[in-house]
Amino acid sequence: MLSMVDMRTDVEIMLKDIGMTYKTSTNTDVTALTNVTMNIHKGEFVSLLGPSGCGKTTLLRIIADLLTPTVGEISVGGESPREARLKRKYGIVFQGAVLYDWRTVKKNVMLPLEIMHLPKKDCEERADKMLEMVGLKDFAKHYPRQLSGGMQQRVGIARALAIQPEILLMDEPFSALDEFTREKLHEDLLRIWRKTNKTIVFVTHNIQESVFLSDRVCVLSPHPGRISALIDIDLPRPRTVEIKSTPEFTGYVAQIRSSFEGI
Amino acid sequence: MKVLKRIINSKYFMVVLWTVLIVTIWEIFAFIVQYTKRTPVNVLPHLSGILESILSTKTINGSQTALQMVLVNAGATLSRAGIGFLIGTALGFVLALLMNLSGTVEKVAFPYLMLIQMIPVLGMAPIILALTGDIGTSRTVIAAILTFYPVATNTLAGFKGVQKEKHELMYSYAASKFQVYVKTLIPACLPSFFTGMKIAAPMAVTASILVDTLQGGIGLGCLLSQSLKGAMTRYVFWQIVLLSAIVGILSFVLIGAIEKKVCPYNQKTKG
Ligand SMILES: Nc1ncnc2c1ncn2[C@@H]1O[C@H](COP(=O)(O)OP(=O)(O)OP(=O)(O)O)[C@@H](O)[C@H]1O
Ligand SMILES: [Mg+2]
Repeated sequence: MLSMVDMRTDVEIMLKDIGMTYKTSTNTDVTALTNVTMNIHKGEFVSLLGPSGCGKTTLLRIIADLLTPTVGEISVGGESPREARLKRKYGIVFQGAVLYDWRTVKKNVMLPLEIMHLPKKDCEERADKMLEMVGLKDFAKHYPRQLSGGMQQRVGIARALAIQPEILLMDEPFSALDEFTREKLHEDLLRIWRKTNKTIVFVTHNIQESVFLSDRVCVLSPHPGRISALIDIDLPRPRTVEIKSTPEFTGYVAQIRSSFEGI
Repeated sequence: MKVLKRIINSKYFMVVLWTVLIVTIWEIFAFIVQYTKRTPVNVLPHLSGILESILSTKTINGSQTALQMVLVNAGATLSRAGIGFLIGTALGFVLALLMNLSGTVEKVAFPYLMLIQMIPVLGMAPIILALTGDIGTSRTVIAAILTFYPVATNTLAGFKGVQKEKHELMYSYAASKFQVYVKTLIPACLPSFFTGMKIAAPMAVTASILVDTLQGGIGLGCLLSQSLKGAMTRYVFWQIVLLSAIVGILSFVLIGAIEKKVCPYNQKTKG
C-alpha cells in the first residue's frame, strides 16, 4: 500500500521517516507520529484523515514549521520548512476562523499584507480580490461578529490566500459548520483551488469530506500515529455534490472505512 | 405593555430607578435619625439640607462658602489623583509590556508588585512622604502606585489571553516581534487594559482623599477630617461625600466612553 518510491519530479512537500514525540512534564512521553513518509506534489489536494489523536494536527504543524519533528527529514520545495515559512509559502486556516475582532472583514484580509509591507493600495486591491473570490465583497466593512460561522471561515480562507502562498494548510476548517454550509464551502474551495493552483493539505476526520475534495487521502491511525493507507481518489473533476451518490464515490468511502476496521 | 417594556429597557430607566431608590432609602433613615435620639446628634441630614448648603451663599471661614471651600480642596486632591492615575496607567502598561516581553522581568517584578499592593495605603503614606519630601508630590505618587497594579496585572492578563492561533498566524507571516505587538497583542489587550483603568480610577480618588486625612495641608481629606471633628458645619462633610461619589462614577463613565471610542468593536450592538 505504501509507495516509498516517487518518480515524479514535481514534489512540493517531502516527508521522510518523520517522527514526533512530545515531552510532557510528567515524564510520560507521547509518541504522536512515527515513520511518516510521503510526498505531496505541486497543485495536489491531499487530505489527512483519521480519528482524534492520530497526529493529523501534529503533522500539519510540522509542515508549517510550527513544530520541529524529533526525527526524520522534511523539505518544502527543496528547502527547510523554516525557509519556506520565511518566504511566506504557507497559508494557514484553522478550525476556528481566528479573526481579529477589532478589524473589519477587509482589514482582516489585509493584515498579512500589511505585515509584508505591501503598499496600502496593493493591500486594498488584493483584499478586494480575495473577498470577491470567497463571495464576501459586500461584507468588506462588516466586523467579524456580524458574520455567520461559515462567512467567518470564508474570511479566514481569503486571508490565507491573500499572501499568495504556494501551500494552503487547513486544519478541520469546516468541522464546526452545519452540513449545508459545509457543502457550499466544499464547492467553493474546489473552485478556488482550481483557479489558484495551490497545493492543499487538508486535515479532517470526515471520510466523505476527504473523498469529495481530495486527489489523495492519507489515512492515519493512532497509537502511535502513522500512515495506514494512501488512497488515490480517481473521481472526475470538477466535482459537484451529485457525485456523492455515485457508486465510485461510495466505493471509496467504504474502502477507507474498512481501512479503519483493523485499528 | 409595549410601552412599559420600552421604558424598562431604556438606557435611563436604571439610572432613574437607582436615584429614586437611593433618595428614598436615604430619606427614610434621615427621618429615623431625626426622630430618635442619637449621639452624635443628627449624623444623617436630610438631602434637602445638603442641597441647601450647596446653594448657600453664607461664608463659613470668613471668605469662602462651604461649596467654594469644598471645590478648592477638591481641585487639589483630584488633580493629584488624576496626575497620579495617568502616571500609574502609563507605567503599568509599560511594565506589563516588559513582563510579557521577558519572563525574567515578570519573575523579578511580580513579587514586588504584590508586596507594594499589600502595604496598606496608610502605611505607605508616611514612607512616600519621607521619600519625596513634599506632601503634594507624595499624594500623586500614592495615586500612581495604586493605579499601577490593577493596570499592570490586567494588561498582562490581556497579553497572555491572546489565542495561540493568533501567535501562530503571525509566526507564519514571518512577522517581526514589533509587528506582533503592534498588530496583534496591543490591540488585543486593550479591553483588559481599560478594565484595569476602570478598577484603578475610583481607587486613585479614594486613596487620595484617605491620604489627605492623614497629613493635613490642602485637600478634600483634610477638609473631611476637620468637618468630622466638628470644626466646620457637617454639611461640608456630606458635600465631600457626595462630590467624591460623583467623581468616582464620572471617572468610570469617562473611561468607558474612551474605551467605546478606542475599541468600538468590543461593544455588543444589535445588527
Ligand atoms: N503539545 C502537546 N503536548 C503533548 N502531547 C500532545 C501535544 N499535542 C498533541 N499531543 C498528543 O499527540 C497526539 C496527537 O495529537 P494531534 O493534536 O496531532 O491529534 P489530531 O489527529 O489532530 O486529533 P484531533 O482530531 O482531535 O484534532 C495526541 O495523543 C495528543 O495527546
Ligand atoms: Mg487536530
